[in-house]
Order: sequence, then C-alpha cells, then structure tokens
Amino acid sequence: MTAVINENPIIQVNNLKFFYPGDARALHGIDLSFPEKNVTALIGPSGCGKSTLLRCLNRMNDLIDGCRVEGEITLEGENIYGKNTDIIELRRRVGMVFQKSNPFPKSIYENVIYGLRIAGEKDKKLFDERVEKSLKAAALWDEVKDRLQESALGLSGGQMQRLCIARAIAVNPKVILMDEPCSALDPKSTARVEETIKDLRDDFTIIIVTHNMQQAARVSDHTAFLFEGNLIEYGLTDQLFVKPQVKQTEDYITGRFG
Amino acid sequence: MNPAFLKKVKRNDRIARWVITVGGMAIIFSVIFILILIAEVSLPLFLSPDKDLHASFQLEGRAAEEKILAMGVDEYLETGYRLDQAGRVNFFNIADGSAIDSLQLVSDTGSRRLITAQTYGRLNHMLVWDDGSVTIERVKFFPFFDEADDNQRSIRHELEHRAIFAPPSYGLPVKTMARVNDEGRQVRVDLFRSGIFQITIIEEEESLFGAGERVQESHQLEIDSVGEVTAMTLSTDGIKLYLGTSKGEILRWDLSEIDHPVLEETTQAFLDQREITALNMVFGDVSLIVGDQQGGVSTWFPVRDADVGWKLTQIHQLHGHAHAVQDVQPSPHDKSVLSIAADGINVSHMTSERFLVNIANGAEKIEAFAQSTRGNGIITLSDHGTVQSWKLDIPHPEVSLKTLFGKVWYEGYPEPTWAWQSSAGTDDYEPKLSLTPLIFGTLKGTFYAMLFAVPLAIFGAIYTSQFARPKFKGIIKPAVEVMAAIPTVIIGFLAALWLAPLIERSLGSMFLSLILVPAALMLSIALWQGARKLSPLKQVERGYEFLVIAPVIVLAVAIAAILGPGLEDWLFAGDLKQWLFNETGTRYDPRNCIIIAFAMGFAVIPIIFTISEDSLSNVPPSLKAASLALGASRWQTVWRVILPSASPGIFAGTMIGFGRAVGETMIVLMATGNTAIMDLSIFNGMRPLSANIAVEIPEAPVDGSLYRTLFLSAVILFIMTFIVNTVAEIVRQRLRAKYGRF
Repeated sequence: MTAVINENPIIQVNNLKFFYPGDARALHGIDLSFPEKNVTALIGPSGCGKSTLLRCLNRMNDLIDGCRVEGEITLEGENIYGKNTDIIELRRRVGMVFQKSNPFPKSIYENVIYGLRIAGEKDKKLFDERVEKSLKAAALWDEVKDRLQESALGLSGGQMQRLCIARAIAVNPKVILMDEPCSALDPKSTARVEETIKDLRDDFTIIIVTHNMQQAARVSDHTAFLFEGNLIEYGLTDQLFVKPQVKQTEDYITGRFG
Repeated sequence: MNPAFLKKVKRNDRIARWVITVGGMAIIFSVIFILILIAEVSLPLFLSPDKDLHASFQLEGRAAEEKILAMGVDEYLETGYRLDQAGRVNFFNIADGSAIDSLQLVSDTGSRRLITAQTYGRLNHMLVWDDGSVTIERVKFFPFFDEADDNQRSIRHELEHRAIFAPPSYGLPVKTMARVNDEGRQVRVDLFRSGIFQITIIEEEESLFGAGERVQESHQLEIDSVGEVTAMTLSTDGIKLYLGTSKGEILRWDLSEIDHPVLEETTQAFLDQREITALNMVFGDVSLIVGDQQGGVSTWFPVRDADVGWKLTQIHQLHGHAHAVQDVQPSPHDKSVLSIAADGINVSHMTSERFLVNIANGAEKIEAFAQSTRGNGIITLSDHGTVQSWKLDIPHPEVSLKTLFGKVWYEGYPEPTWAWQSSAGTDDYEPKLSLTPLIFGTLKGTFYAMLFAVPLAIFGAIYTSQFARPKFKGIIKPAVEVMAAIPTVIIGFLAALWLAPLIERSLGSMFLSLILVPAALMLSIALWQGARKLSPLKQVERGYEFLVIAPVIVLAVAIAAILGPGLEDWLFAGDLKQWLFNETGTRYDPRNCIIIAFAMGFAVIPIIFTISEDSLSNVPPSLKAASLALGASRWQTVWRVILPSASPGIFAGTMIGFGRAVGETMIVLMATGNTAIMDLSIFNGMRPLSANIAVEIPEAPVDGSLYRTLFLSAVILFIMTFIVNTVAEIVRQRLRAKYGRF
C-alpha cells in the first residue's frame, strides 16, 4: 500500500528495492515521501527494513560490499542514485545520528566542527559561532561550554548522543537521519534527546527510526509502519496511533506482535 | 549457587592468580638475571687496579756485595735475580730472598767490572763495562719437571750472550746506548765528554754466495742543541734514536741507513725549557716516553704535518710525579709505562691515560726495580737493601670510559678518532675498542632500514585495512606474515650475494626508478581521473586500485632498468660509482646501507605491517561511519579519524620493528661489510653492535678486555632496546589515553 503526503516533500522514495549481498531482498518496493521540516518516524518490528530504508537515504548502505539498489530516491527533486551524484555532497545534505553514540576521540570543539574542517573551512570565527549554535541547538551548550577543549570521550552517554546531534547539525544539513538514537540511553537522557529533536523540527527535516512506539508518538509528526520490507501504513502520527487503517498496524501498536 | 561449587570457583580463582603472578614475576626476574649476568662479565673492565705486597725481606750478605745495577724477575713471580758491578747474576727466591744460584758474566775483553746496566724488552740487559765495551745479555727461564727429583717443578735459568760491542777509540763515553736486532744488526751510540757523539752500526751484508760479510760504519757527529744531552734512547731494533736535552729539546734520528744517520728533527718539546731527564720507547717502538725535571711523564710520536712533514707531537700526558723523573720504562707486554721518581714508581697506561698504581717503599729510596714480563709483578730494591715483591692486579689497563666512548689518539694515527679494531697480525698491536662506531653503526643501519620499512608498512597497512576489498585483505595479510617467518640468514644471504651485486651493477637504474616510479604514479593517477568518467572503469576503482597501480610500478621499474645504463653513460661518464667518488669523495661499498635498508626492511616490514593493520582494523566501524556520514571522503576519514585512533598500535608496531632492527644480527652480519666506520653516507656499510658481537666473540679470549668489552656492548644493546621499548610504551599509553576508549 502506498501513502503519499503531498505536503511539501523534501525526499521522495519511488519503488525502492534493496538487496543485500546474495540477493537477499530487504525492501520490496517502497513508495514514500518525507515532508520538509517535520519529524517522521519509521517504526516496525526488528528486521522489517526500517534501518535499511534510512541508510538508503544517505547511501550509507554503499559501504556494504555487494549490495544492490533498485528504484529511485529524490532529494529536492534530484535522484540520489543517479550517475552524477556526489556522495560526499549528498551526505553533507543528509546528516545522520547513529544508534550508538560515536564521538571522535577528539575535543568536544573539534567534534562539532569536524564536518566543517573536512569541507576545507578554516575560519576560526565561523567555527566558534557554529560550535555555540550547534551545541545550543542540541541543548548541550550549558553543560559543556566551559570544557570545549576537553575530550568528548569524557561526556556521559546522553551528552555524547547530543554531541553527535550537534555534530550533525553543524554542517547545516537539510535532513537529519536518526537511527534509534535513544536505544542505548537511560530514560532521563532519552527525554532530553527527545526534547532536542522537538526543538530541531523548526529548522531540519528529521527522519527517526525507533523501536519505541511511545517515542514515535511523542516526537513525530508523521509515522510510517514497515513490515517485512513493505510499507504497511503511513500517515499523521496522531491518526496512525489512534485509528490505524490496517489490521497489521493495529496489531503491532497494540503490542500483539513485534 | 551451591556452596561447594562456589568454594571451588574461588579456589580456582586463587590458583590462577598465583600462577599468573608467579609466571609474570619469573619473566621479570629472568630478564633482570640475564642483564645482571651480562653486566657482571663486563664489570671488571672498570675495577680499579690492585697492588699487593706479598714479600719483603732484607738482602742477604748485602754489605759484602757490590752495587746492584739491575734486577729481573721471571714471569711466574718465583725467581728474581740481581746483577752487580762485578758482573755476577745472583738468582733468589722472591718469596723469602733465599739464594738459588749464581752465574758470572764475562766480558770478552777480560774486564770484570760493570759501569751501568739498562734493561729493555724481555729481560735483555745492555751492560757497559769499565773498558768501554758493551755487551747485551738476556736472562732466560725454563720451567721443567725434574724426573730425578720426583717430578718436582723447578726453573732452569740461562744467560744468552746476544752481542758484544768493541770499546770506542775516544776513551770512556759519558753515555752509551746499544741495541742488537734479530738479524744481528748492532747499533751503538756514544756520547763523550768532549761533546763528540758517535754512532756505530754493524750490519751483516748479504753477499751473492750466502755467506754474510760484516760491515761496520762509525760516524762522529756534533750535536747542535742549546742544552746538553741528558737522556737518550734507542728503539729495540736500533733504528730510532731519540736524544733529550737539559733545555727541553728532543732530537729525533733515523739510523736505518748504515752509512748515513739522519737527524730528522729537533723539537723544542717543552716551551719552559725544562730538562728532559728520561727517555724510553713504549712497547712496540712507536711512541716515545718522556720524563722531565718537573715530574711530568708524557708520550710522543711523529705525526704527519702538511707543512713540515713528520713532526714529533705530544700525544698523551700521563700521571706525573712531585719530583723529577729519574727513569721511565715501558711494560714489556702492553702500552703501560712505568716512571720512577723520589716518590716511587708510577704505573700508567699510555692510551687510556689511566694512572694505575704507585709503588713506594715508605721512606726508603728505590734504587733498582724490575717488572715481570707479564706485567703482573714488580720487585724493588731500596737503598736500605730491602727487596719488596709486589703483585699487581691490573685487569684491563687499556680500557676506560674515554677509550670506550671518546676519541682516542692511537699510535700512528694522524688525529684522535673513534676506532674499533680488536686484533691484527702483530703481537705489539694495540686493540682499539671504541664502542662509539658500533653504536653509530647500529643506529645508522636501523635508521635506513626504518626509512624504507616504516612508510611502506604503514601505507600498506592503511591500504589493506581501509581501501582494499576484504577478500584481497584475506590473501595479503597472511602472505606478509609469512614474510616474517623467513629465516634472517636467508634474507642476509640473498642480500649479500644477489641483491648487492645487482644494485652495484644497476645503481643508475635504481636512482632513475626513484624518480620514475613516483612520476609514473602521478601520471597514472592523472590519467585515471580522466578515465574514471567511463563507468565500467569506475567499478574497478573501489578496492581494486592495485590492479591499475601494480603494472604502472612494474613498468616504471622496467623502463628505469632499460634507461639506467644509458643515463649513466650520458651523465656520469659511464660509471656512477666512479663519478660519486670523484665529485663528492663518497666511496661506494658494494655492501652498503641501500642493501641494508632493503634487506632489514624486508625483515621489519611484516612486524610493522601486521601490528599496524590490526590496530587500523580495530578502530570501531562506528567512527568510520560517523565520519563518512558527515561527508568526509575515504582519505579524510583515514587521515583524521582512523589514523589517530589507531596511532597507539601503529606506534607500538613501529617501535617493535625498531627494536627488531636494532637487535637484528644475521642480515647485518652478512650484508654490511662490517667496517666500523662513522660515516652517514648511504653508500657505506657499517658495523653494528650485534654483528660485532657475533663476529668477535668466538675469537675473544675469555675474560680478556675484548671479551668483556663485547659483553659491555651487549649491555648497551640491552639498554638501547630497553630505552626504546620504555619510551614506546610511555608514548603509547599517552596516545591511548588521548585517543582510546576502545
């Protein structure tokens, strides 16, 4: 089934099929569009393909040897699997926050400006500005502003994850992909990260994969439910959770499987 | 958990802890034990010399006896003898002074009284008789086991009459010096009260029919010096003559030509014109010992000077006396020097300039002394008639920290140098045991090997772990690890017998390929940038770059090999080695640091590669993903994230490789040429500590100076690797604290 929300889509997924090495098909033709400056949650049981779909959006799946993609994904109208796509450019526009926080073994400051440095930026003033802005946006500024030059590895788990968010937004991406960003965090840290995600909604398009349906309900505007590589249902979060159209969705969100 | 099981778990835990603790401690202790064992062998090098008065007695029948002119002692420190004015040689037991035997010397001219006696070499005595004739006598000792007397060991002594010199025609000389060499060439030098100076040389002249004819030449000369001659010495072969004057001048004569003695030079040795009171030649007849009025003892030998030719130069200043030096004597078996003054006998070593011992008999004045030919004992006779017998324990007089590490001015060298040359053909050769060129050699070989190995190994590891396909990595890593298993003797063998001649033949090609290979790589990369627009080629790119690069490198080397000889012809007149020597003075040794870099690099690369590759592969993939997701290229990711994170491991690998190169023996032994030179040039070989130990230890007499010095070099090797490893560990811990959480 398809559900297209024509509310100013920034990413359009058309009949996306994904094969892992050995032709194991993980996605069976997904059609989906992500509206701009919205939070979209991808939910579904383990192995349903939600993380695979997410990783297709910035071509992180390219790192897997021998995988294959069919179909089309457009970012602002441009096919990202086209012949002339610059992967580096794509990834600057589509940032990512991973399940397990992965700050670089560098200072907090250097972590945030990493994306700028590799883009060849050398302006110290811009760095300072961007560090402050990004850390504020990730709600980390007050906690770390006095120890920016200290190693990022000294932060707590929740702080590290917010640092990763700050690092992702420092390069000003259009889209931020989040792959179960809170799964390794305690409830208090989870709440803070969720707060952050809500705040970021005004400036970025956020696509978040989550196992936690309450989290999806709390932070997202739209929710897509995937099952066994197919998109089952997609709609406004409020509607999908309150009044699912499909039986499978209802079974999943009421906890009958998954 | 059931209590019995819990008890068992705890017990096993305890046992494991003990076994591990004991094992770990055992390793530490055995390493320390080995170090102590090695150090203990080398330690006696630095022990201070010891003297021991083992007998002291009053000479029997002293009053009746004539004045004693000379003494001697056998090398076993058992029998001593004294030579008196009547020409009698009295042998005595040096433990208690009891008389053993007595022999009478007879002058051929019938005279029975002696004026002076001088001892030189191995118990040779030059005796001046009161009629002016001179004889040279040698006392010989032969230990034997007497069958008639229950196989008791006893010592037979004999007198060997070596030469006789007829009295001069000018009457009695004031000073006389005479020597005879092994071919029977006799030289006699006399100084007369009238100021006349006479040199008489007698030679056997070879005739066509074999029978020798004796030729005698006498030369009467005037001495042209400010002061009068106060000291005189002749070398044992009678060729070098030195005269010292009361005004501090030294005259050097060459008596090698029978009909033409040559005054080589007159040197104002001491600017303050102090009197030269004693002259003698150091064992080996190269250096001159000078004792002066102010108690100074120094050694001199002629050094080539660009302007004036050979010039007598003061080389070593030895420990002096508070009083004027009366006599100086060389040791008959090494470069030690004995000097006697009112404050006793000083024993010093010339080369190391070490003051070894002072021997004095309280307030009694030493009138005569003799040293054993092994240098292990001295007997003295005082003016009170007391004989003292001293045992000397001077294990390694020639070794000091200065001779081991500093520049030393060896005999016959134009200037002070660091030199290692432990042995040579002659007995009077002085071993040169400077460790500095060996340490230098170790560091030099290691430096060039690391210069070659480190970039290759680390970049190889980066490519294999980060860029190459995993399938490719699965082949290349075990293959490189197998390289580490190749016995180094095979690598050394190939380097010495195959690589060295190959590189010597194609030196031009090798340098050309140093330019061509990078150039070809650049060119191929530029071409590739164009070619990769074609999509089928783009597929090759990821992880198969080596398929494109490898043929390019092979091709570039092949082109260099073809063009090399032509280039050498064109630019370097056909021979690059000759050109190097002519233009830069650099000598090309066939076994040099290029060979070492390749061969030792080959041995070190697998270690650095494997450890670096492991640590690069162990960087969490999440870091790589984070970097790539931020839009970093693969190279940026490697450079900014992977390499810093893997740096502790890469550093550790490099240091382990360094340690391996420092200790590597077989390759350097076979492929360096083993010349202990101190020259950074890549075209020379070197002699590293490890190879030096391997080469020399089989020939080093146990407990000798060389043996102990080799053990000392092992300690140094040990300390070097210890320092390298400690520094490496500290740096690694720092890096890990900075970059690591993994």
